[in-house]
Amino acid sequence: MPPVAVTRRLIREISSLKNQPPEGIRIVTNEEDMLDVVGIIAGPSGTPYEGGYFRVKFQFTDEFPAAPPKCRMMTKIFHPNVSSSGEICVNTLKKDWQSTYGIAHILVTVKCLLIYPNPESALDEEAGRELLEDYESYCSRARLITSVHATPKTPPPEFDVPSVESSEAIVAATSTSAAPPSKSTASSTSSTTSSTTLAPPPASDSTSSENNPSLLSASVKPRSKSTSPAVQPIQTPLQSATNAIVANGPHVVSNVAALKGTSSSTGVNKTEAVVTKTLKRPAAGHGAENRKKALKRL
Amino acid sequence: MAATDNAMQVDEQQIDEGLYSRQLYVLGHEAMKKMAASNVLIVGAKGLGVEIAKNICLAGVKSVNIYDPEPVTRQDLGTQFFLREEDIGKSRAAATVPRLAELNSYVPVRVVEGQPGQPISIDLIKGFQAVVLTNVPWSTQVEINDWTHKNGVYFIAAETRGLFGSVFNDFGPEFTCVDPTGEQALSGMIVSVDEEGLVTCLDETRHGLEDGDFVTFSEVQGMVELNGCKPRKVTVKGPYTFSIGDTSDLSPYKTGGIFQQVKMPKIIQFKSLRESLASPEFFITDFAKFDRPATLHVGFQALSAFQEKNGRLPRPRNPEDASKLVLLASEISSEELSKSVLEELAYQATGDLSPINAVIGGFVAQEALKAVSAKFHPMVQHLYFDSLESLPATTPTEADCAPLNSRYDGQIAVFGKTFHDKIANHRQFLVGSGAIGCEMLKNWSLMGLATGPQGIIQVTDLDTIEKSNLNRQFLFRPKDLGKFKSETAAAAVIDMNPDLKGHIVARQDPVGPETENVYGDEFFASIDGVTNALDNVKARLYMDQRCVFYEKPLLESGTLGTKGNTQVVVPHLTESYASSQDPPEKETPSCTLKNFPNTINHCIEWSRAAFDSLFVKPAESVNSYLSDPNYIESSLKYTGDATVQVQQILSFLVTDKPLTLQDCIVWARHQFEENYNNSIRQLLYSLPKDAVSSTGQPFWSGPKRAPDPLTFDSNNLIHLDYIIAAANLHAFNYGLRGERDPAIFKKIADAVVVPEFVPKSGVKVQINENDAAPESTAAGETSEIIAKLPPPSSLAGYRLTPVDFEKDDDTNFHIDFITAASNLRALNYNIPTADKHTTKQIAGKIIPAIATTTSLVTGLVCLELYKIIDKKSKLEDYNNGFVNLALPFFGFSDPIGAQKQKYGTTEWTLWDRFEFKNDPTLQDIIQWFQKEHKLDIGMVSQGVSMLWSSFIPKKKANERLGMKLSALVENVSKKPIPPHVKHLLLEVMATDEEGEDVEVPFIIVRI
Repeated sequence: MPPVAVTRRLIREISSLKNQPPEGIRIVTNEEDMLDVVGIIAGPSGTPYEGGYFRVKFQFTDEFPAAPPKCRMMTKIFHPNVSSSGEICVNTLKKDWQSTYGIAHILVTVKCLLIYPNPESALDEEAGRELLEDYESYCSRARLITSVHATPKTPPPEFDVPSVESSEAIVAATSTSAAPPSKSTASSTSSTTSSTTLAPPPASDSTSSENNPSLLSASVKPRSKSTSPAVQPIQTPLQSATNAIVANGPHVVSNVAALKGTSSSTGVNKTEAVVTKTLKRPAAGHGAENRKKALKRL
Repeated sequence: MAATDNAMQVDEQQIDEGLYSRQLYVLGHEAMKKMAASNVLIVGAKGLGVEIAKNICLAGVKSVNIYDPEPVTRQDLGTQFFLREEDIGKSRAAATVPRLAELNSYVPVRVVEGQPGQPISIDLIKGFQAVVLTNVPWSTQVEINDWTHKNGVYFIAAETRGLFGSVFNDFGPEFTCVDPTGEQALSGMIVSVDEEGLVTCLDETRHGLEDGDFVTFSEVQGMVELNGCKPRKVTVKGPYTFSIGDTSDLSPYKTGGIFQQVKMPKIIQFKSLRESLASPEFFITDFAKFDRPATLHVGFQALSAFQEKNGRLPRPRNPEDASKLVLLASEISSEELSKSVLEELAYQATGDLSPINAVIGGFVAQEALKAVSAKFHPMVQHLYFDSLESLPATTPTEADCAPLNSRYDGQIAVFGKTFHDKIANHRQFLVGSGAIGCEMLKNWSLMGLATGPQGIIQVTDLDTIEKSNLNRQFLFRPKDLGKFKSETAAAAVIDMNPDLKGHIVARQDPVGPETENVYGDEFFASIDGVTNALDNVKARLYMDQRCVFYEKPLLESGTLGTKGNTQVVVPHLTESYASSQDPPEKETPSCTLKNFPNTINHCIEWSRAAFDSLFVKPAESVNSYLSDPNYIESSLKYTGDATVQVQQILSFLVTDKPLTLQDCIVWARHQFEENYNNSIRQLLYSLPKDAVSSTGQPFWSGPKRAPDPLTFDSNNLIHLDYIIAAANLHAFNYGLRGERDPAIFKKIADAVVVPEFVPKSGVKVQINENDAAPESTAAGETSEIIAKLPPPSSLAGYRLTPVDFEKDDDTNFHIDFITAASNLRALNYNIPTADKHTTKQIAGKIIPAIATTTSLVTGLVCLELYKIIDKKSKLEDYNNGFVNLALPFFGFSDPIGAQKQKYGTTEWTLWDRFEFKNDPTLQDIIQWFQKEHKLDIGMVSQGVSMLWSSFIPKKKANERLGMKLSALVENVSKKPIPPHVKHLLLEVMATDEEGEDVEVPFIIVRI
């Protein structure tokens, strides 16, 4: 039996996702065991994954939501950031994880990754290379795998429930790196992982994890009251997320102020992302043009 | 005398890594070698002296020497855990030394001879590298220190009086500390260095440096002068930037580079005690009591003067003696001092408390180790500590505190007999009997906890004693190896205080959902509180949950090397352990591990996973296939790579099954080729070294280091080590005999012909795009392989032996394999390799530990236990503690109050709950919330079962509404409720009349 904190948080997330699923995202649950959660992502249109339905299996630890769940792609896919055994390499699931994130956030992030593969952090180096060298070839292969392994005759019944229509602008920010120090030039580096980072939902103004007694920190704990972060249902409309990505150009190099704790912030996050820097880059072959077209269709 | 032995011999002595394993990760080899050359003298063998001596013996020095010719009294037994009733009248040192000597066979413990009444003198301290005086008159301290200060002998004086403690350090006029923080040297990748010396780190990582730190560099391109440069001083400019001073005379920076922090020795100038008395430098232990050290500095001197004048200490709670002490204090100092604190010091002067001795003794032992090892920053220079908050709310009377010629006189002097009886009739549950558990039991036994008619200590631990435990779990001896910890520890503390006999129950049942029939309603009704002495978060969270449910106070603590913390959880007052936790450690992204490692930690994590996927999982899969008829079907359902799994079973069971060790060596050689040559070449085939990223930058740059394939060379020790370890472990899987002679492995491995590498290209996806039946193709491929598998019935009884990872056995090849495998990968990526000791810590996730921290932290916990027993009810009565002995650092804070939440107009905290009796129906509960609180219930869950929700089909929902809760739970979970379960815990999601989500307490349903 997992700690109460885990189940308490999960029933809220499951309920929110069941009642108001984000576009193109559904979950399959098991009433016997709420830890048994499978997400289904509809392949975004305009990508080689269109028409496919991709299942992501969640595995929650006792430390959830302080620690991210483990996620595995159960549907075979040709994608630079998904390994043959289904591992998904995305910072949100590892070093960028925040306890305010949840199932919906992860699924939206993975959906963004389908639109925006990140060859720089390839798990499937072959897919990474094709994406870099020959976009068309990558696309046709990804399409082939999608049609063979991910396209059922009829869409999963979970998609009978309509998505939530919302214009609430929780904007996604996609970047290869956290907001860089002022002097650094973003072009000089690239991170090893794709960090398709979504702005976290507006958190309550009380999430000061700094107040937690930390075994590792040698500072005196402030004698202040801290309240635990309130659970917020995460409703991140994918459409606005992808729009934000597309708006920044077809490559993942734009540094959007990632609204996350890169400094000891209070944990209050505004709901709008600020585009700080959009990088021009030399055209890297005609693949880029194709991708631009593909993304325009979104 | 020991001190005249030749130190050189000891220098050469090997450190017993099996025994000192956890401590080595705190102190390091270098510091421990210095310790092994030092003879330490401890003067005074009462409670404080023996605590210091115990910790130093466990840590390991050349010799520990005890001076205390005074006869043992009954009162000594109250804190001196190595004295027994039959020792009364014997010399303290002589009675103590044999028991101290049992702690560590590498540390000789000797008596320094003297006559009763003979004070310590300079003649007696000659020849020791460090001298620790406990409860010695201040005039003598000054005299001794004058000599040690001049003669290069490290000096510590310590004293405990009731709830007060004092420590003074003098390590000489010029003491060199080689590692002031004990933190690992920092290192990180950089992306630019400008002419003014501003260094910018790779954007995703903070450098973590502080002003005044020193760094050097490697792999810098362009500004090559920085590579291996003399350490340059850092000025921090931001979390990602720091300055190293003018670099305009260096070549212009191009790209790349790694900074590496260089630890610089620090020179500390100590004053002698004589000098320090007049102008003391205080080390603050509690910023809320910042003015107390000045008072206590004078108070302790006055106490010493009182004793010399009257031939005795002030009597407990005696106002006359107290005013005499206040007068003496005013003669020593004209400063304004706290009269009430001085009076308390007088009242408690004859007091002697095990928890205070544990705090001061743990601290002083570490200071002594700092002196002889030069590791960590010493305390400068006076420490004064007190825990006056531990006194009961009702101040005891003078009569109540009068000595009774009992072993508890030292505690009665402080708390009074009335409160002592409460301690004796207290009932505690100690969860864990490891390092913290042993220390806790020692303190409890000395305090007489649970020795009264109603008192009981319940202690549980499922573990048995291992060698690496002996270094700090001091109730255990080599003869106890393999025995249950809880039983051995219980027996040891009964021996320490026979009053405990019949008042301590040792158990082996771990705490968890599976043992709620043992630790259920009845059990919790029979205890007053819980003390955790655990080593994992999961069990801590579980006990926290149970304590919240049963509304019991919980004492929580933990250590990590020289760091420790304590937390008090009090029902209906504080938050609980689960309310605020350390954020878990961030994991490494999988692509970094798989393709782009840049630190040795990445390589070790990778090789630890390789260990499982070579020696654990395949054997388990084979066994599952052989024993579970549905295995293939059920495993196929949950993995994306069923074909690979089935292929692996076929390989391990049929196609590549070894028959001899020779076959295993050949297998190992092929593994080498696959992992360190072929897969690297494949990666470079896909992403060549000159590949360009989407930004037009070189693909292999920044944190991505371009790898090089390795060519097998049996003369390279790392290569051969890999073959030896891998072949032996593979042989183990098949029950084949292992081998250790490297020559055999070399010969066979050299003879193996490996196929030439051919890059795999994915173009061979030979599937027709029109193929519309997705699942069938993969299934078809898989079933072809399955057809080749021998039916399990044909191999009845045959099983492989999966390797069970054990980090502490040096002969089992486990850490050998992980070390070799990670170092080979490090060679692939040109990352500095790591030795076996370092690899073992990272791969085995070993938590560094040392007895001193444990002793101190446990003392702090017991100081809170006094408050729990007194049922204190205000947050400010309690203390959560944070310490780091390396810096050193003490910090205390009030516990955080339980967060108040609200539904309607009702405020509630985590300690509140709704309770339903007589197994109501779901409808009853939902209606009750509507009627009583105007709350709509949207979802109901129990454990992991979702009993009811707004999104389940209407018909099902209605059916469930009418069911009794017990029936509903059994129906959804598809499991019967065990007979011992008398209540169910429900969680609900509720919305108020405005449709807003509101948080409500949990629900208990009695069934």
